[in-house]
Amino acid sequence: MKESLLDIICCPLDKHDLELTVEERDEEDGEIVEGLLVCTDCGEEYPIEEGIPNLLPPDMRE
Amino acid sequence: MTPGDERETREAAPNARALAATYDRIAEQFSATREYPWPEVESFLDAREGGVGLDVGCGNGRHAEPLAARVDRVVGVDVSRDLLGVARRRARERGYADALSFVRGDAAALPVADATVDVGVYVAALHHLRGRDRRVASLSELARALAPGGRALVSAWSTEHDRFDPREGDAGFDTSVDWTLPDGETVDRFYHVYHPAEFRADLEASGLRTVEAFVSSGNCYAVVAPGGSSGSDGSDDAG
Repeated sequence: MKESLLDIICCPLDKHDLELTVEERDEEDGEIVEGLLVCTDCGEEYPIEEGIPNLLPPDMRE
Repeated sequence: MTPGDERETREAAPNARALAATYDRIAEQFSATREYPWPEVESFLDAREGGVGLDVGCGNGRHAEPLAARVDRVVGVDVSRDLLGVARRRARERGYADALSFVRGDAAALPVADATVDVGVYVAALHHLRGRDRRVASLSELARALAPGGRALVSAWSTEHDRFDPREGDAGFDTSVDWTLPDGETVDRFYHVYHPAEFRADLEASGLRTVEAFVSSGNCYAVVAPGGSSGSDGSDDAG
């Protein structure tokens, strides 16, 4: 995930901004491979999995 | 909320999970048969430009690719993790990955901030949402995400398609269509097949304003703007 994506994405539930915690970056392009996105309002946590943020509402995850 | 609404709300999560599971299973083969963008999408994109593009239900990214040529950056949203994986690989192989980001999300709960999208495509995905409330909510989500002056192309499978018998009235119908895997196993996919009048009515009920609606190759299409019945978004579509 490109860090600049934070300008566009939001919490799917209340549409507030997301705060990024980086766990692993790609060494070549600096993109986030693993991490966490946390809603600044409701606190819901969304994982970044293999570089792709999973922003499905929590009840829709498997 | 009516009892019908409650039922549809309860079905939202199973619908999204089932859809994701289906497309995860068929992702590779599905992608191989979805190589080229639809001409209606290319016509819509012609001469459009902007900062941010959005592809809702992006699948393997075949429409995100021409969109990426028109805007600075594109976000592709899909419910299927495996299709997103295929889409990312395809973007890297074809050299448009720098302009493209992928997000796993639900079309009826878009994880896209308000008024950010200049050019959107929501092609052949709306018809996979079960329940009218969920489909209208999804269209309203697109309206919320569109920037003032932004435009999107929405399409869904139509009752006008030649595989369906002519029907009385202006109602669409729910159906399921099997996808056959290479080993012969079939996976069924939910579709709501839209009557053109019903398609226009759902757009009208949403937060979108319809600029132009038409049927082409058995699909309902609409070019839409934000604003809906509540008023104009300040731009001029005349001419």
